[in-house]
Amino acid sequence: MAKGLVLVVDDEAPIRDILSFYLKRAGYQVLTAGNGAEALGEMGRSRPDLIISDLRMPEMPGDELCKRVKSDPATQDIYFIILSALDGTASRIGGLSLGADDMIPKPFHAQEVLAKVDSTFRLIAMQKEIKRQNKELTAFQQRVQDEMELAAALQMGLLPKLPGEAPGAGYTHRYLPAEGIGGDIYAVLPLPDESLAMMIADVSGHGVTAALISAMVKTSFENQVRLGGEPLAWARGMNEDLCRSTLAEQFATAWLGRLDPATNKIRYVVAGHCAPLRIVGGSKGGLQRSEVLRGKGFMLGLDVQLPFVEHEAEFLPGDRLVLYTDGLVEVEREDRAMLEEAGLRRICAELPAGAEAAAEAVITQARAFNHPVPFVDDVTLVILDRKA
Amino acid sequence: MLNIQTRQEGTASVVSIQGKVNFEVTAQLRDVIRETVATAQPKLLVINLEGVSFIDSSGLGLLVAARNSVDKSGGKLHLCCLPAPVKKTFDQTNLTNYFSIFATEQDALRGA
Repeated sequence: MAKGLVLVVDDEAPIRDILSFYLKRAGYQVLTAGNGAEALGEMGRSRPDLIISDLRMPEMPGDELCKRVKSDPATQDIYFIILSALDGTASRIGGLSLGADDMIPKPFHAQEVLAKVDSTFRLIAMQKEIKRQNKELTAFQQRVQDEMELAAALQMGLLPKLPGEAPGAGYTHRYLPAEGIGGDIYAVLPLPDESLAMMIADVSGHGVTAALISAMVKTSFENQVRLGGEPLAWARGMNEDLCRSTLAEQFATAWLGRLDPATNKIRYVVAGHCAPLRIVGGSKGGLQRSEVLRGKGFMLGLDVQLPFVEHEAEFLPGDRLVLYTDGLVEVEREDRAMLEEAGLRRICAELPAGAEAAAEAVITQARAFNHPVPFVDDVTLVILDRKA
Repeated sequence: MLNIQTRQEGTASVVSIQGKVNFEVTAQLRDVIRETVATAQPKLLVINLEGVSFIDSSGLGLLVAARNSVDKSGGKLHLCCLPAPVKKTFDQTNLTNYFSIFATEQDALRGA
């Protein structure tokens, strides 16, 4: 197989013949031309990998040819070696400033030209390989990005559809993952006895791993709820599930609650999660008082032996529940201040009616407090209004 | 970037941390703890959190993993000198009851 295609351009036939002879003997394919114009004609028929051109020629000199080759995007990657009787540094610089890749002074030894052509083709081969690898890498990157986007879309699909409707309650969410895909998850499940099972969780870490575990958390919650029982039993079951299936440093903080409309109570377990707010009569909007549904508890997935505690709080018709993950309140401003629970309660002291408008107001005001620092962690906010 | 110092006190290793322990620095801290446990094989590992201004869930996860790995090798992990914001995070997650926590480094080194 030919090693590559070389176009030799010189107005002196003996020079063309000598170069052709040596190059062909070395295994190259050779085209020849007597001046720049002829060379361009040859190039119209087949694209050389390398051009070796004299400078002084009739019709079109080598410098003009070089300029044309190097200024045309279709041909600028072709290696260009100037072959010139004008020896000396000045002309050498002159030749290279035309855009030529190299120069060979005349008179030349055929062996010298051949050595230079060989080394040029090694360079060309290397460049081709780099280009090929680059292309592969770009394709790989694109594939990864496509998959991430697909995963992010799938994750969005794990969240409840909005506007969220459950018997006796309406809710909405804001879900802002830090890296397109995140470790936050929540669920609201209406139960056959008219009560409402609720869960919000934040898986440690970010990105794909956290997202996978968040899907696991949701499935585990749904399974536990299906088994019946109260949040305490759900927490134990989910803790076992997570201990079994995650690695050393992976766990989830969670809040699990069950609203019983008959008794107007929420029974809940706090598993290392930020305690939600109850806004008394909050669904009608305006100035309201908030209460924190406090409780201490271990995160899920730490250790199978760890105990959980169930708490109970009043939750009346017309009350509003604010569930969130720590990313909402733990952005450190330049002055080191953080919104924290106290700041969120200040925001919640006056919110509009309607879960959607309230969620928007909370996010907007949290952003204003943090300004100019953006959210850095996954942020999830759920506002659930119990119908009056 | 975290500032982490380690030193040996008899059969105990002490790791002192300064800075914000979050997702971005857990790899750095994990390496130091892993290396300390592997090379010194301490009977007691004390982690001094005096200089920690903030710890997030990845940081907590790392400490939990550290305790488990020290437990497995028959050693003990003691934490000491928790600043108020860190103490709050530990309280919220009930980790105060999961770790052996001491007020001073001396207590942590003495505490059996």
